[in-house]
Amino acid sequence: MDVLKQVLGRLHPLIVHLPIGFIILGLLLQWYDRKRKEYGKVIPLVYLWGGISAALACVTGYLQYLGEGYAFDTVKWHLWSGIATALFAFLMYARLKEIRQVDFLSKVPIVVLSAFFFVLISFTGHKGGNITHGEDYLVEPLPNHIKSALGFETFEEKVIALNEENWQDAVMYDDIINPILNNNCVSCHGPKKTKGELQLHNPEVILKGGENGEIIVTGNSETSELYTRLVLPKNDEDHMPPKDKRQPTPEEIELIRAWLNIGNPFEGTIGDLGIEKELFLSFFPKKHDADYPDIQISAASQDTINGIKNKGFHVENISKASNFLEVSCINMPSFTDSDFEFILPIREQIAILDLGGTQITDAIFEKLATLPNLTVLKLDATAITGKDMELLASLEHLKSINFTGSLLEEIYLHNLVEFKKLEVAYVFGTQIQGEGVRTLNEGQIIIDYGNYELPPIPSDSIIY
Amino acid sequence: MQDHVQRLIQEKVVRETQAKTRRHFIKSCTQGMGGLALSSIFMGCDPLEKPKAKNPMAFSERDLNPLATLAPPFAPKVKSVIYLHMAGAPSQLEMFDYKPQLQKYHGQDCPQSLLEGKKFAFIKGTPKLMGPQAEFKQEGESGNWVSNFMPHFKKVVDEVAFLKAVHTDQFNHGPAQLFMHTGSARLGRPSIGAWATYGLGSPNQNLPGFVVLTSGGNTPDAGKSVWGSGFLPSVYQGVQCRSKGDPVLYIEDPEGMTRDLKKSTIDAINKINKEEYTKYADPEILARINQYEMAYRMQIAVPEVMNINNEPENVQQMYGVEPGKESFANNCLLARKLVEDGVRFVQLFDWGWDTHGNVREGSIDLGLRNKCREIDRPIAALILDLKQRGLLDETLVVWGGEFGRTPMQENRGNKKMAYKGRDHHGDAFTMWMAGGGIKKGVCHGKTDDIGFSGIEGRVSVHDIHATILHLLGFDHEQFTYEFQGRHFRLTDVEGELIKEILA
Repeated sequence: MDVLKQVLGRLHPLIVHLPIGFIILGLLLQWYDRKRKEYGKVIPLVYLWGGISAALACVTGYLQYLGEGYAFDTVKWHLWSGIATALFAFLMYARLKEIRQVDFLSKVPIVVLSAFFFVLISFTGHKGGNITHGEDYLVEPLPNHIKSALGFETFEEKVIALNEENWQDAVMYDDIINPILNNNCVSCHGPKKTKGELQLHNPEVILKGGENGEIIVTGNSETSELYTRLVLPKNDEDHMPPKDKRQPTPEEIELIRAWLNIGNPFEGTIGDLGIEKELFLSFFPKKHDADYPDIQISAASQDTINGIKNKGFHVENISKASNFLEVSCINMPSFTDSDFEFILPIREQIAILDLGGTQITDAIFEKLATLPNLTVLKLDATAITGKDMELLASLEHLKSINFTGSLLEEIYLHNLVEFKKLEVAYVFGTQIQGEGVRTLNEGQIIIDYGNYELPPIPSDSIIY
Repeated sequence: MQDHVQRLIQEKVVRETQAKTRRHFIKSCTQGMGGLALSSIFMGCDPLEKPKAKNPMAFSERDLNPLATLAPPFAPKVKSVIYLHMAGAPSQLEMFDYKPQLQKYHGQDCPQSLLEGKKFAFIKGTPKLMGPQAEFKQEGESGNWVSNFMPHFKKVVDEVAFLKAVHTDQFNHGPAQLFMHTGSARLGRPSIGAWATYGLGSPNQNLPGFVVLTSGGNTPDAGKSVWGSGFLPSVYQGVQCRSKGDPVLYIEDPEGMTRDLKKSTIDAINKINKEEYTKYADPEILARINQYEMAYRMQIAVPEVMNINNEPENVQQMYGVEPGKESFANNCLLARKLVEDGVRFVQLFDWGWDTHGNVREGSIDLGLRNKCREIDRPIAALILDLKQRGLLDETLVVWGGEFGRTPMQENRGNKKMAYKGRDHHGDAFTMWMAGGGIKKGVCHGKTDDIGFSGIEGRVSVHDIHATILHLLGFDHEQFTYEFQGRHFRLTDVEGELIKEILA
């Protein structure tokens, strides 16, 4: 019997278009026939059919409401207005057939009745559409500001933000699990829609489960549907969320699993529950790992940049999303210390500076110290010895210096320990002796001496 | 007669004007305005059409110099790419993908279940499985497997990220190479290097942005299309340089032509071109002027960068170069020099990896070993050299073939072959990447016990392209070129970033 209920119920979206068609046809015919009055016999008949099919739609609609687990609140307007539509169709039939019992209606002009009927069926159809497609179906493609101006709620994502300091203080359910369920599940399993009779927006309803019973087996994720449905293959009919909907990330799924395995506690911080840190790393702020400082600066004007380019410099934005610049003398081997003034207008924006192969001397260090955001510096194949290099220690972002093939002297090399953010210095091809990699400042700074070797081995000369 | 017609027309105009009321005007206004609004919604008839520049005389730098640099959409991890392609398809089973189980089944018939529905280039009937013909050891701190065919490679094994389960849908060299380098097995698409130079330009004004070097005595089976520009402007195609003789054909001035004479010739041509330009304002003319000047500069710069004799003795020894010859070692050293000078994309092809077992050079236990020896030292040297110069952090090195080789011994014509060989195999093969933005020492993907198919972490050719573009600062789904009415991508409609190997 239940099966029959469901099958008939699912016919509702099909059958429902019959009364719509008939009634609209009736209304159109009334309008078309307003002067000629040639279709007087047909119109009531059309409304009769409309009424009968509307009644059928009401029955199947009710069955669908029972069979598919909609909350009454969701369907009530559609349900009542649907019944009203069916009744009104019969009324129209009676009015047009001038049946005596409805004499009271004859005082109302037919135009008013038709107009009301049109409003009624539009309203009913709209409410039905809202149930299947969602209330924001029509407005969804609109930009957010128009949506909010029209008074529609925009989907509110609950952001999960943790960091190195606070991650242990976050409450596992409130700050992690609830946002994950909210962002991925609650649009269908929540107060507005309750598919499969399941809601996931608060602890009580989560524990209650859905039409197939509870979804959590305490302490066992592998038998809890709240987890197993997530990890089914995407094409599986039972996979949740449905494959065309937003999917939780692998890290989020792992957290659901971990939470279920410790008995789905609704209270207690991550620290109290003793959950391992690795699981939360994806919610930590991304470490800035790029060749420019992690700050915002204003852009240099295009005219300024073009002027510098015309002098022979290579100047390019690090990316379209960043105002920091890379400047190189790759096409300008004649660059000398005094040419530095050309790039002063963009001193704030320079993050990468390549002076490799130019005519610079140690006097350049004083000038380089005026580039506040310098991050990567290349001085390879130049005549610098490293004297006055300590002036660069004040640069807050300097991460990498390349001295390869320069005249760098060992006595100045140790000045690098003063450099706060320096990560690596390349000194291969200078007079400095050494091989491989050594570190300074307890491993903070890597000095790459290079001089790697591939000693000959017997197999080098064996020809097969 | 003429007068008569004129008068009629005149009268028609007057009548019409009289008949037209304010209502008519307002009515046609609403239609017109609606149309205007609609056209902006639908962006005219051709949605791809770009808005015309307001000032036809305002050119971008690109109009004048097609290789002018452009910033990538996102901060890039690398500036340059060195792509090492082993043309002919190297055997992963003798180099990096160690399959001890395969040794157990050595000499047994390949299970029918593996052969059903598969196509092989030469294998017929039921071939026999063949165990690894090399000895393997775990090397470096990462403990990744390297065979004794690659003894120097163990020194750099901790720098690379292996992809053990790459797959392709092509099993013949030409189409597979095209697929690997252009994202399509059919002709007509731009190569990765062309996309990169088109998208980023190249900072060095004296050198091409995309250089191709070949070794092994032959060029790839797919021909020059593997470094072609496809539908991109032809200026973005790879420039093939030779490591023997003149690096670029006809780069030397002919006898009797002095540098000064050359300069004045070019100056004269450019002067005429400039006059043309003042007349017609066609940016193509400016681009042409630029090209002449670049060619003139390249005459000096290219022979300089392509000369490996000036490199110190110990560097030459590390790579094992053979000056004056065409060799993979020379090309590796050149690749470093080119990248050092700001060349965007360097593509190396080494020919001779097609080890079917039909001839001695093409055998798994002999010829392959020689090929491995030829690349082993140069590749290790290239990575170490880039590293000590601080270039490895801003360069991506990619190694691979167009497909892999079968775990079965080839039985061409259903007969036993003269030498040990393996047939073409696209289901699973090994590639690796090293350099900026790459996680060091990882091994992504896994093949089954006999190395026939990937069972974990399978990646496609498109995935590799997506990852290369990502490291250069592009989202492969957004990086497009408009051609024949649609936007084309290197990865077409596929490709996912291989996040597992990204640092």
